[in-house]
Amino acid sequence: MNKWKKKPHTTPKPYKRPALSGGGFGGRSGFFLARAVTNIRQNIFVNVVTIGTITLALLIVSLFLLVFINLESAVENWSERVQVTVYFDKEPTVQEQSSLREKISALPEVSHVGYVSRDEALKRFKKRLRGQETLLDGVRPETLPASIEIALKQTYRDTMSVENFVISLKRIPAITEVQYGEEWVRRFNSFITFARLLAALLGGFLVIAVVFIVSNTIKLTIYSRREELEVMSLVGATRFFIRAPFLLEGLIQGIAGAVLSLILMFVLFELFLQNAGSFLTFNPADSGLSFLPIEYICGLLIAGAALGFIGSLTSLKRFINV
Amino acid sequence: MIQLHNVSLAYQQDASALSNINLKIGKGEFVFLTGPSGAGKTSLLRLLYAALTPNRGQILIDGQNISRMTAPQIPLLRRSIGVVFQDFKLLQNRTVFENVAITLEVLGWGRGDIGKKTMYMLKLLGIESKYNLVTQRLSGGEQQRVALARALVNDPKILLADEPTGNLDDANKNQILNIFKEANIRGTTVVVATHDRRLIEQSHMRLVTLNKGEIVEQVEKETAYDAQAL
Repeated sequence: MNKWKKKPHTTPKPYKRPALSGGGFGGRSGFFLARAVTNIRQNIFVNVVTIGTITLALLIVSLFLLVFINLESAVENWSERVQVTVYFDKEPTVQEQSSLREKISALPEVSHVGYVSRDEALKRFKKRLRGQETLLDGVRPETLPASIEIALKQTYRDTMSVENFVISLKRIPAITEVQYGEEWVRRFNSFITFARLLAALLGGFLVIAVVFIVSNTIKLTIYSRREELEVMSLVGATRFFIRAPFLLEGLIQGIAGAVLSLILMFVLFELFLQNAGSFLTFNPADSGLSFLPIEYICGLLIAGAALGFIGSLTSLKRFINV
Repeated sequence: MIQLHNVSLAYQQDASALSNINLKIGKGEFVFLTGPSGAGKTSLLRLLYAALTPNRGQILIDGQNISRMTAPQIPLLRRSIGVVFQDFKLLQNRTVFENVAITLEVLGWGRGDIGKKTMYMLKLLGIESKYNLVTQRLSGGEQQRVALARALVNDPKILLADEPTGNLDDANKNQILNIFKEANIRGTTVVVATHDRRLIEQSHMRLVTLNKGEIVEQVEKETAYDAQAL
């Protein structure tokens, strides 16, 4: 006979039921964390797939953000060219100059005022025609007008504000001729508006796609373990007890995905900086391209954590109904 | 311990799975539920561990009306009930030890206590040497014992078993029956759904026969053997 049948007669001493370990999340957080880590180890394949999906998804988002941020800073540089110039037929006296500068500076839109004398104007002209200075041999400073160049604050660089500014500028006596490249400002601003709209639209679609893909991946991983959810429920686990390890697992997956995507993004960015010089007309290392600022990095980490956590939460709601 | 008053259950509006069931099972009793397939045995068990709610009637378990229980109260009820499922419901990629320990983890036991109690239970069922094997590598009889260990490790007040000897040979059937009896001796109320005539005849326990969702016959303990012999 097998030895099993004899066992009941040598019954071990009845076991005294021990006291429960701490209740609530505080008392069991260690257990939940251990459970989550064990789950990840035991379901390594689905976890690798999930983390990989989150990594790729966030990589796309961070790439988008990186391009967006660098374009924004480029746009900021370009918009500095939105400049209003006041021309004078006669060169104003030093007193006139300072009183005009004062009046112009008092306008709220102005960020910087610079006076360009006739000599200065000729110098600039020559600089522009470098190599063919001889063309300007007969030109004397008096043939060029003196001017005041006005740079505008960033918020006043759109078409409407520039036009309004010019109107208020013309109210100052002694200012007659004002130029600001209307056509260029208008085109530039409508391009910026269009580009921002396009970026918002693309970004929106991207976020929707990412949320959809990640939540479906998580749903599949939880679906593959629905038996475990059922068994836990049948042996008397509370909803919270069933969910907590899965939520922690989602959180870990999300953060791991975000960290991996940022590392990958950084490596790609550095590689681009080092190698793009050979196929681009400018050297990106000197062009002021920057990596994501720290707020965006934190934002992506939080987004990853939230994706994992909320994805798990909504999927669990579907499968725990016992 | 278990009382059912006029309990009816219908999965769909026309087909009723159980109708007008009145049943009292006392503390420490051992009851067989029998009847042909589709008689409502499994449905009755599922009502008892609150996986289903009856359409009509009241179910009292240990004085608590489970038809009126809120969702958070159900887990607490289930902790005092051990269930052995027809299809075992073991976690296939987990070890024998983990499958049994899950019941105690849910209760919040400490790691050391879980280890001791789980190994004690596995020893009692004669599968302690397999504790580190994943359950999909076990034979049917061994899986059955793991399912039993999981149901009993918590010393439940009630043990429900659905066709626990479904595909076992005679030696294994006897061993399983002995485990039920021992649990019963330790004070657990045992309800076993089966259509295995031999198992019922050997055990001389109370017998409730269902047919088409109704109780058609009840035979009290001790006379059960004679009744079947007739």
